[in-house]
Parts: sequence; structure tokens; C-alpha cells
Amino acid sequence: MSNKGITRRQFLQGTAALGAAVVASGCTINLKGSEYLEPYVRAPEHALPGESVWYATTCRQCPAACGLLVRVHQGRAKKIEGNPLHPVNEGKVCARGQASLQVLYNPDRLRWPVKQRARGSRDFTGLHWNEALNALFEKITATDPQRIAFLGGEMPDSLLWIVEKFLAAIGAPPPVLYSTHYAWEGRRVLRAVNRTLFGKDRLPVYDLANADVVFSFGGGFLSTELSPVHYNRAFGRMRGRQDRGGPRGVVVHFEARLSQTGAPADRWIPILAGTEGLIALALGRLLLDMGLARNPAVRPFYAGVNVDEIAELVEVEVGRLVDLAKLFGEAERPLAIPGGVVAAHTGGFNAVLAVQLLNVLMDNLGQEGGLWLAPNPQVGGLKPETEPASLSEVQALVDRMKAGEVDLLLIDGSNPAYSLPATLGFPEALAQVDTVITFSHFVDETAVLADYVLPVHTPLESWGYQVVDNGTDRLTIACQQPVVQPYFDTRDMGDIFLFLAQAIDAAREVLPWQNMIEFMKSRVAVLQQLGMEGNFPLDNEADAWVAWRQFGGWWTAEPTWEAPQLVWQPSQATGVTAEFEGGTEYPLLFYPYESIALTDGRGANAPWLQELADPMTTGMWRTWIEINPETAKELGVKHDEVVKVISPYGEVEAIVYEYPAIHPHVVAMPLGQGHTDYGRYAAQRGANPLRLVGSKTVPTADDLAWLSVRVKIVPTGRKQKLPRLESTVGVDRAREIGFPG
Amino acid sequence: MTKPKGEGEQHQWTMVIDLDKCTGCAACVTACYAENNVPVVGEEEVSMGRHMGWIRIERYWEGEYPDVRARFIPVLCQQCGKAPCEPVCPVFATYHSEVEHLNIQVYNRCIGTRFCANNCPYIARVFNWFAPDFPEPLHEQLNPDVTVRSRGIMEKCTFCIQRIRQVEEKAKMEERPIADGEVQPACAQACPTDAIIFGDLLDPNSKVAEVARSRRGFKLLEDLGTEPAVIYLKGGDIYGV
Repeated sequence: MSNKGITRRQFLQGTAALGAAVVASGCTINLKGSEYLEPYVRAPEHALPGESVWYATTCRQCPAACGLLVRVHQGRAKKIEGNPLHPVNEGKVCARGQASLQVLYNPDRLRWPVKQRARGSRDFTGLHWNEALNALFEKITATDPQRIAFLGGEMPDSLLWIVEKFLAAIGAPPPVLYSTHYAWEGRRVLRAVNRTLFGKDRLPVYDLANADVVFSFGGGFLSTELSPVHYNRAFGRMRGRQDRGGPRGVVVHFEARLSQTGAPADRWIPILAGTEGLIALALGRLLLDMGLARNPAVRPFYAGVNVDEIAELVEVEVGRLVDLAKLFGEAERPLAIPGGVVAAHTGGFNAVLAVQLLNVLMDNLGQEGGLWLAPNPQVGGLKPETEPASLSEVQALVDRMKAGEVDLLLIDGSNPAYSLPATLGFPEALAQVDTVITFSHFVDETAVLADYVLPVHTPLESWGYQVVDNGTDRLTIACQQPVVQPYFDTRDMGDIFLFLAQAIDAAREVLPWQNMIEFMKSRVAVLQQLGMEGNFPLDNEADAWVAWRQFGGWWTAEPTWEAPQLVWQPSQATGVTAEFEGGTEYPLLFYPYESIALTDGRGANAPWLQELADPMTTGMWRTWIEINPETAKELGVKHDEVVKVISPYGEVEAIVYEYPAIHPHVVAMPLGQGHTDYGRYAAQRGANPLRLVGSKTVPTADDLAWLSVRVKIVPTGRKQKLPRLESTVGVDRAREIGFPG
Repeated sequence: MTKPKGEGEQHQWTMVIDLDKCTGCAACVTACYAENNVPVVGEEEVSMGRHMGWIRIERYWEGEYPDVRARFIPVLCQQCGKAPCEPVCPVFATYHSEVEHLNIQVYNRCIGTRFCANNCPYIARVFNWFAPDFPEPLHEQLNPDVTVRSRGIMEKCTFCIQRIRQVEEKAKMEERPIADGEVQPACAQACPTDAIIFGDLLDPNSKVAEVARSRRGFKLLEDLGTEPAVIYLKGGDIYGV
């Protein structure tokens, strides 16, 4: 490693500059000490007493990269609003995005870097940043680079770009990225299918706004998947056509459970979880047989498809399938959308393929209201090379850790101790690693198992950019800028790595920037090199730098999404259904889904999101299990009774919710709760359904097959009222007296 | 008739909620919490029915498995023209604004009898059973334009009166009428499907006046004669499959 040119003393001098305020205070960082009356003649930049200012930035609550306008009043962020100009969300925001404020002002945020006495002790000692950065620098330089590992999550592209360059420069393996959310939205599978069918490794974009008949196969596009605000916007437009004299767009939803995305659909066709692909096969076959297919080139795929057999398997009458095929086939602009659940099992790849082939059959590729490929994000080298890891790659990292081959583990934007399937044995593997450093804002489950926690700025305090990879028709480089001064004594993650790079020759060559502002400015030149017309002119670098921040991003003037070209040689359909683990003693299919409030658990520490009523059950604050009322009767359980949910991999407790719109052989649970740490609003409430999921993978895409276990339900005899908005008092009374007859 | 000096234009602020577009995503709910400093009350209080959201997504199950549907209706204060909450208030904390056609709640008059909540057929009013808790530094998120209500006070949706006032004052200073769409309550501003439309019904060219004429329109519990200022458009359906 080429850091020989610098001594520890020189490095210390350097850190002193970065942490000047800290060194000067000479004691524990005390924000109170820095409060003094400031006459307004020396008002901070843009701070006018009593007047609000709005700053454009990019949302980091999920990877969709919606554009935000944040209302800032007297230096404090007050309200998250959508950026009306932004091509992804066009002025709108979701509940989770608005709760970014409660990441920034969360009372349980770490206020300065800490060192833990012993892992798991939760006994943290505060550090000065120069101490923390020295520790980080020393660990990185003293460790054999091959024995360094970086585990990331949904990092902004800017940061990932810096980290991967840094790691490569010091000779360490590239970062490994894992996020529960990616697995739940089926990102890897969607891309793998597009590679196979269209020869392009891109995410799909559906022109929902202009479609007139939409078949949604377990889709979560209105809830959490891919770009939910974008698709909600499109859904509103699709429905709004009726007021403009056009046809009202209709949606038919196939899923084991009527989800929030399914609820506004016109028809819900309940099917067993994991059979969505079968329905797609049958519909495709019928479209061909009825002469409704507009592009029969993929006919060989359907050679072995027997509609009668499938109808029996999925328990939907043939006549109804024919009606559905007719509705879809006769529509002017039909569109099929596969959801994350279609991708989430051992037959996931083939099932998603079968759904996308409905789009091929109806020849809507690159058509108004059809299927498109997202604009190519790999332009100008802005997109990092590292892609979200396959489960095998995550497993390989855990195995390396277990074998004692990792001495230093750096973790950012991820909470693996909470989110990785228990079968991977992450916490045990962590015990074999000499030093664990996380960059979390909170003491989460992973931080409890770490040696150092170096809290970095929250997204509203950070610089960055994101090359949007779906949910827009045009190439979009979203710009993230700090909307407020850092509230606590934290550092920008990018600044930390750029700073470290200054002290390591090899890294300095590839990362010559002093800080994130310099780095971000340098990206404007990269935008210029694209040579494309955009929302503002790029010729003058200084003006473009201002405009990039003012607009909240740069995007092309014309759509750049691509019409998919079929390159696939059709072969006969195989294995589209799910295989489940657990024998006859586990009678129910287990369907864990992402909570619309807490997503995969990241939102659990925001009080707004904890108290946000789930749209379907109106439940909050706890974990419930959704059981069909008939099944509940058979099991002898009722609303508000606590049951044990047992899979071959583990057991958790949940409160029964008798859910009238779920297949009787399926039970569903929302993700998000069951934290042991992560602040006062998250800790010690509800259960983590991830504990029940094994580590089977989806073939070809090598992603977690989270729809792959059966469970059994065992009553505990205890009662606990699920906190919720709706009251069942009247309903229960009506049942008691046998109403309505 | 000349208007008294200082009086604003006459407006009839109206909200249209298109149930065919509502996806139940709850963006409006969080937007309202953020804009109006609505307190989070915690698990126990929620279990006692003391949730304090000013707008809620009601979900109704229709039919039985397998022919079951869920329908969403966002419900908030309907800003009734003939509000049942108003005549029962002994201290005039809730009264009707003839200028704005709004149902006003004056926090510093309220003595917490809760008669108004008892009389509201829409269950739109919520009561502060305890002082709100915004543990430091969560208080930094509070909107400076909206009072934080104390214990013993009744509160409810105001149609984001602070935003209406801001726009009114700005228009007055610039000596121009208020443009359509200029006033956006937080819920309508956030709503990703544009299911919530807000505007002045007295302006015949406004978007809200246009959609209010829809054949799909209805009002909640219309037969009570409360004359709500919220108009719902009923959701659609398909036939044959």
C-alpha cells in the first residue's frame, strides 16, 4: 500500500484542520456552548428573519430519487415538499419522504463519534472527530487491504463512486451492497429478465399514465416498489382521463393478498402466492389461441401451456380467464406489470419473464402506454460500477468473515444485523472480525455489534447526486445538497473518504478533491461532456453549478428511455411457480411484505411513520399477522390475539388481524418492526418477519427468495389490542347477534 | 356594494376528493402532521381512540372473500356550511367565517368541553388529552406559522388557513386576485395522484369548480344538511370480468 509517504503525526495535523472546531473546544462537543445572540446585520446566507427559503435536493428514503423542495425557516428544515419540475415525482412526495425531517431531527441521533467498550455492551464513549478519523485511518492503513471489507446499502451514487474508487486504490475488494428493499422490489430479477429478453441490463419503466387496461401481478408500484410516487402520479393521470373525455384506465390485480396497490384496482383476483407466473402463462396462451396476440413471435414459449390445468391449479375458472384475456387483448393499450412478489421465489425469474412476455405479445414495447427500458444510466462514468450484490456475494462476504479473513469491516447505509436472513449467520461472523466501524446516524442493531460508530450527516445535510435508474422517461442526474447546517457534530461521509484519500498516495491520484463541494463541482464538467440538451444550459460551468442545485438536478430536454427490442429466442416455458420449505406441519404460505410506512424497517424510528395507519389494516406501532377470517376460525384465533408464527427457521409473535382479502392458505406480515435498538420509537416493539425467512435464492438473478417458507400458527392465549384507527366494536357486535342474518 | 376596507375577497374554499384516484398512500396524512404540528400520541393513546390526525384514510371492506374490495375515503373536517359543532360551543371557540366560508377553531377560547366533537358526525375533531411531546430536537421540525396546541384544547383540520392567509396577503399587496391553484393545503400539495383538488368554488374557471360539476360527485352524510365544503367523486368500476 502506498501510504508510506505520510506519518501518523502528519495525518493528525491534517485531521486537526478537518476537526478544527472540535480541537478548539477541547472538551465534549456541547452545542449549547455555541449558542449566542447574533444581530441580523450578520445574518447567515439566505436567512431572512421570518421568511422561509426553499432548497431543492434529492430524497434518500428510498432509491427512487424523487426531487424535493425543503422549506427552511431561520436555518431549520420545516417541511418536505415535492419539486414540481423534477421528472420523477413532479411535485409530489410520499409519507416516507416527508419523514426525512424526522431522520434529521430525531432525538435518538448520535451526536458525535463513539467507541464501544465491548461489543454489545451499549457502553459508548464519545470521541473527538480527530480521534475517530485517526482510528479509522490507522485501521485502514494498518490492515492488509485484502482483509478490508465494505458492506453498504442504498448509498447515493456519488458516495458509492468515491468509496469504490478509494477501495480500489488501496487494493481492497469492492464494496458489497445489500438492501432488503432491493430484494422486495425484485430489482435484480427485473434486470435479469430484461437482459434475457431485450439484451439490456436495465430496469423497466411502465407508461402507466397512458395505459388503458393494466394487469398488475402482485405489483407494489403504488406502495414501495421501484418509484412509487412516479407511479402514483401516473395512476392519477390514467384515472383522470375520464374527466377529459377519454377512457377510464382500469386495473386488474392478481395477488394472494389484496395489497394497498391492489385496493384501488377494479378487480382483485385472489390466487395462491407464487402462482402469478401461471396466470400469465395461461393468459398468454389464451391471447394466442383467441387470435388477440399482436406479436405471436414468442409462440414457442407457450407450447406446453395447458390452460385447463392452470385454471384448476390457480382456482380461477377457465371462463373467467377467457374474459380476462379478452379484456386485455382487446384493449387499445394493455400493460402487464410484475411486482416484487412475482420475482421473490425459486420460479421468480421465469414468472417475471412470463409476465413481461404479455407485453411482448401485445406489442406494447416502446409504445404509448407500454413497456419501456429506463434511460441508460451508464453515461459519462457518473454511475458507480458496483451493483447491488447477489445473495451469494453477501454469503461469500459472511463466509470470509467467519473464516477470519476480514480484519476490518466498514458498514454504511445498511443495517445487516437486522436485515440479513438469520441463516447467513451475520452476527456470529461479525464476532470474527477484528474491527467493525459503522457510519450510522443511530445506534442500530449493527452499531451495537460494532467497535466504532462514526455518525455521518443525514441526507438533508449532505452533498451527493443520483443517476436515476427508473421511474422517469429521461436521463436524470438528481442533485442532493445540504438544506441546513449540520445539526450535530457529524461529518459528510464523502468528506471523510476524500479526506482519507488525501493521505494515501494511490487514493489521492483518483480522488484529488479536498471535499464534497469540490467533487460535486467537478461533476458539472462531466455533465458537459455528455453533450446533451437539458433543463438548463451547461456551457458555463459556474452557472451550471448554480442551476444544478437550483433545479435539484439535471435532466435531458427530450425523453431518452428506450424501446425494448426483443433479442430472445423463445424456448418452452419452465418452472414459474414457487417451491416452499417446510413440510405438512407448516400449512400456511408465509407472505412478508414491505410496510408502506416503515419500508423494510428503516422508517421505524420516525414517530410520524410509526403512527401512520397502514392503509389496509389501519394498524400501527406493532406487528400484526393477516389471516383470512375462515382460516382464523379453523385455527381458533380472533382479532387482537397474540399468536406464535413458526417457520422452519425461527419463530416470532404477532397480533392477529382477520383480513378479509387474503387467500385462506396464505398469511401475511408487514416488515419493519422487531428492532432491539434503533432509538426509542423503534426499539422493543413488534416482530421482525425476516427472522422467519430462509436464504433460498432466485435462480439466474441470485437474489433472496423471500417467498419460500411455510409457517404454522400457534395461539398463545394472550390478548393484545392492535393499536389501530378502525374500530371493530360494531362489527363484532353485529357478528355476535348474527347480523345481517 | 363596496367592500369594507381591509376585507379580503369573498371565497368559498372547497376541496374535491376523487375516490377513483385515491390509492390510500397516506402522503396526505404525513403532510398534514408536518404542516400543522399535529402531535404523535403513542401506542397506548391510539389504542384508546385518541389518534390525533386531522385527516385519516378510512378503509371499507366490501363483499366477502373472494369477491372482496377495499375502498379508501380520506376524511377530514368537512368545513360544513351548517356545522353541527358550532352552535354547541359555549364559548364561541368554534364559529363560522362568513368571509372564508370556513369553520374556524379558536384555540385560546377553547375550554375543552368537547361538545363540538360529540356533535360532529364526521368524527373530524380531536382533543389534546395531554400536552404534546416533541422531544428535543424534534421541536425543530415545528411549523412556525401554526400554533402548537396545549392540553385540554380541541383541534381539527383548518384547510391550512395559514396558507390561505399567506396567499391572500400576498395577492392583496400585489393588488391582484388570487390565482387558481395558488392556495394549496399540505394534503393536496403532497397527494401523488392529484386525488385532492383545492380551490375557490366562487371562481367558475377554477379547477375545483370544474371537477365539482362531475356527475360522480357526492357529499358525506349529505342528508344531515350540514352542507360540507368537501365534495367526493365516487370511484369507478368495470363490468364483465
